[in-house]
Amino acid sequence: MDSLDPRIQRLNFPKWEKDLEKNHLDQLETYEVFVQTKEGKPYQHEGVVHASNSDMAFLFAKEQFGRRYTCTGMWIARSSDVSVSQTTEADKSVYDFVEASANSDQLESCEVFHLYKRGKQHRHVGAVQAANYEHALSESKKTIDEQKTVYNVWVIKSSDLLKSAEEDKVIWSTLPEKQFRDAIAYKGADKIKEFKEKQANS
Amino acid sequence: MTEAIKDLLYKIADDQLIIGHRNSEWTGLGPMLEEDIAFSSMAQDKVGQSLAFYNLLHDLGESDPDTVAFMRNANQFHNCQLVELPIGEYDFSLVRHFLFDHAEMIRFEMLSNSAVEEIAQLARKLVGEIRYHVMHADVWIKQLGVGDTRERLQKALEMALPYALGIFEESKYEQDLISNDIFSGEQALRDTWQSSITTVLTETELQLPDLTTLTPLIGGRYGDHSDHLQPLLDEMSEVFKVDPGADW
Repeated sequence: MDSLDPRIQRLNFPKWEKDLEKNHLDQLETYEVFVQTKEGKPYQHEGVVHASNSDMAFLFAKEQFGRRYTCTGMWIARSSDVSVSQTTEADKSVYDFVEASANSDQLESCEVFHLYKRGKQHRHVGAVQAANYEHALSESKKTIDEQKTVYNVWVIKSSDLLKSAEEDKVIWSTLPEKQFRDAIAYKGADKIKEFKEKQANS
Repeated sequence: MTEAIKDLLYKIADDQLIIGHRNSEWTGLGPMLEEDIAFSSMAQDKVGQSLAFYNLLHDLGESDPDTVAFMRNANQFHNCQLVELPIGEYDFSLVRHFLFDHAEMIRFEMLSNSAVEEIAQLARKLVGEIRYHVMHADVWIKQLGVGDTRERLQKALEMALPYALGIFEESKYEQDLISNDIFSGEQALRDTWQSSITTVLTETELQLPDLTTLTPLIGGRYGDHSDHLQPLLDEMSEVFKVDPGADW
């Protein structure tokens, strides 16, 4: 196979007779990534990575969702460990449909995330002590002071979240200087304009 | 003393530039999308770190960073031979990354206390980036250093180790650097490095050979390189040499 890329050329790929077959659904499981962009700001859902475990997911998330702008912390949870409420519309909040429930079973800390606008990201609003998912919603309705309409709620057991360690925060310390990772830093449009003007004048 | 400091800065900067360029060869070819981006980002970090050190060299009277990076021949480079080896397969690239970055982290921790304030400041600033690089290497080595993949990693480790020991080839200014508290020296670095990699390897099924039985592959610090470096430099500087004044 001929390639303009010397790295590809060096690999000496044989000419492909037919398309290689790919196994169906051969991806690793997914992990949800939450990012804190500034000290004191709430963690916000940023996206998803594929990984074989949460430590690997953290490695990938750090460069997938913490490679630009600023970052002061990151949380990771296996997608299947996220309990998701129904999604409401118009002026209806998820909590309008949550009934108060009491539970005397073993309580666990659960992190609660709210969605305020469809298509936007879920934002961390606090933690509650609850025995199960329904109980967590009920506790959250009772204890979290929420003024806005909540269209969707995620609940994740605190013990299911991998949180970046305080002493590891330095891994993001040089981020604000990495403006070369933003397309805008290259002022491409200005350079093209300048080039075209030079062409037109010559 | 300036010559001793320049020698120290050149070997650090050249190591970073060459391993950064080598690792960037994986961009687009990594084993999975997420890892491709992570490995490429680290390669970019390395090139950025080399720029910071070339800038310090420029302050000491050396040519500007682009000229230093792109216009020298292989025998003018001070990098260890480990970093110039081809990327091979992913097992080798990961093992090299593991062995190199542990040394790099310790080197930067040592330099954080250097008597030369400019070097100490830079080392303190970059140590966080390297901390992630080491974290990345350790998680992968622990993941692949057991079970089915152990054997491939073991082979890569045995192949890479004599080159890795070449990281610690001493400078002709070694004693000056140590006695003036500029850098604690390669031997001290090697000792700490050995215990640092051993700690990670004991959590895997990989065996670290007795390092005293290995002959370090040295020469890189004095411009003696394998046949792999010059072609890398030719490829890396190709665009620069077409139009050295280009702004991009």
